Amino acid sequence: MTLLTVALKYLRGRFVASALTSLSVALGISLVIASVLLSRGIQQGFMEGTTDYSLLVGAKGSPTQLVLNVVFRMDLPTPNIAYRTYLDLKNDPRVEVAVPVAMGDAYQGFRYVATTADYFAPFPWRRKTFAIAEGRFFRADTPEQPAYEAVLGADAARRTGLRVSDRFHEGEEMAEYPLTVVGILRATNSADDRAIFFSLASYWEMNEVSRKMKVKPLTAVLVRPKRMSDLPGLHRGLNISVESQGVFPSAVLLSIFNILSLVDEVVAVILGAVVLVVVLYLFVSMYSATLERKREIATMRALGARRATILGIVLLESCALTVIGGVLGIAGGHGAAYVGASMLAGRAGPVGNLFVVGLLEPVVFGGVVALGALAGLLPAVLAYRTEVAENLAPLS
Amino acid sequence: MTEVPAAVTLHGVKKAFPLGNGRTLDALNIEHWSVSAGSCTVLTGPSGSGKTTLLNLIAGVSLPTAGTVAVHDTDISALPEARRDSFRARHIGYVFQTFNLLSAFTALENVMLSMMFADAIPRHEQRRRAGEVLARLGLGARLSHKPPQLSRGEQQRIAIARALANRPQLILADEPCASLDADTAREVLDELLGVCREASTTLLVVSHETAVLTAGDQIVDITAINRPEYRLRAVESV
Repeated sequence: MTLLTVALKYLRGRFVASALTSLSVALGISLVIASVLLSRGIQQGFMEGTTDYSLLVGAKGSPTQLVLNVVFRMDLPTPNIAYRTYLDLKNDPRVEVAVPVAMGDAYQGFRYVATTADYFAPFPWRRKTFAIAEGRFFRADTPEQPAYEAVLGADAARRTGLRVSDRFHEGEEMAEYPLTVVGILRATNSADDRAIFFSLASYWEMNEVSRKMKVKPLTAVLVRPKRMSDLPGLHRGLNISVESQGVFPSAVLLSIFNILSLVDEVVAVILGAVVLVVVLYLFVSMYSATLERKREIATMRALGARRATILGIVLLESCALTVIGGVLGIAGGHGAAYVGASMLAGRAGPVGNLFVVGLLEPVVFGGVVALGALAGLLPAVLAYRTEVAENLAPLS
Repeated sequence: MTEVPAAVTLHGVKKAFPLGNGRTLDALNIEHWSVSAGSCTVLTGPSGSGKTTLLNLIAGVSLPTAGTVAVHDTDISALPEARRDSFRARHIGYVFQTFNLLSAFTALENVMLSMMFADAIPRHEQRRRAGEVLARLGLGARLSHKPPQLSRGEQQRIAIARALANRPQLILADEPCASLDADTAREVLDELLGVCREASTTLLVVSHETAVLTAGDQIVDITAINRPEYRLRAVESV
């Protein structure tokens, strides 16, 4: 027999109490892990969704609204800019790629995104790749002969139930301009999974106002410069204009995250309180278990167990409870984060990969075991100081 | 005639318990007393006369206020605590009135625990040896049973097996039959005496039971060797 087997035997001896204590540790750890993973995953998901294009050009107004709407399909669309802005950027020698985007209404909550084939083009610098899971991309058409063909993001197709060759329209007023599904995209784990894409020409012809406009409207232009060194110049030039603005999507996201860091701090305090409650519960559990078996401890001492041996057994029990709770908690935290991410992906936006085990897990695990040892320290000292003769007296 | 060496020797042993408010209770005052090696000595006396206190001093679980307690020439009262624990684990077996088995452990594990504390028997040997000792006491079919699943007689046999596991030179038994019915007490006592005689182990038993008194080589009334003042005494300030 070893000290560890003795400690584990004692834990098994009070199985229900041990299981409940480990469960409380697991729940606390799950909460910490799930919160950190989700927070990190959301940030990562947002950052990954916005890194393909360096510059976003839209109407003057809120940069945050522009990024949230155009890149993440959240918030309301910003005012329009003229199609000419796109043409100017496209012809600018400093620009490698410019992609026009017009944000429309939504079908069953999935945003209409009018754009060109460039939006899906596999440029070498792109991290995101678009592939057709079923059907094909929409054809390039003209305002004179709009095709009204739509390509659905993976989530949009799954949740609306639309299949290739289905026709659909949002509201009675659009019944004259139904869109036909010609393709469904593979999942990209980004906001594009929740979009319905079609051509700009179809968009302009569907919309009564834009149909009559000579200067066709756009919501934004996604820009990739040939050289990163040209980016500040482009940015400055666009911001001098009274109608348009250029924003760096990643900079806007960082400022959003900075604002939200206060929430992170509040969450951290709440999580700290949860951990404290768990440690206190563990302490109370170990303390009462030690008080209950002072006679057994005295017996072990009478059999020759050293004080340090008794101390070690109690500390090992406490650590074992936290190791079990820690392992369950880390697994449970990942599971809870996965469920949370699935729910968020459907309702809000993409969440980064949650199953990459990084520094978080060993740090949390080590911290939990250290806290377990700390919670077990006082009961262990109580056991260590148990007076043998006093506690060996026959029970009346 | 060859002189039998002493298994236990006490010299000028005093034990006083603090009662608070600067007062103490004198429990033991033994000028000299020894127990012959290999003998079975029954220690008797009225309740509160210091029998268990004396066993605790001999076992080294508590220290005398004054004097020396030697077990086989080792002054156990002078050893540092860790060495005293180690000495007790290896050389002294302890049998309690209420068995004091550890309820979370099986019969076999209860016996193995004392081997683990003694750290004198290789780990791979412990299980075999514990099984042998239990089988010797008729508990070969009860190895995997936990104390609550066993009768009181069986529990006390396990406690005896636990005391014998490290083949100690001295076994201290505090009222080993007091919690048992007369028949079971007789059986348990016979087994305890049998294994001690077989291994020439010194047995010091505290008991009032007639069966035990008649089985011992010598009976010692503690009041004959212990002359405490039995009064509360205020500690004089120095």
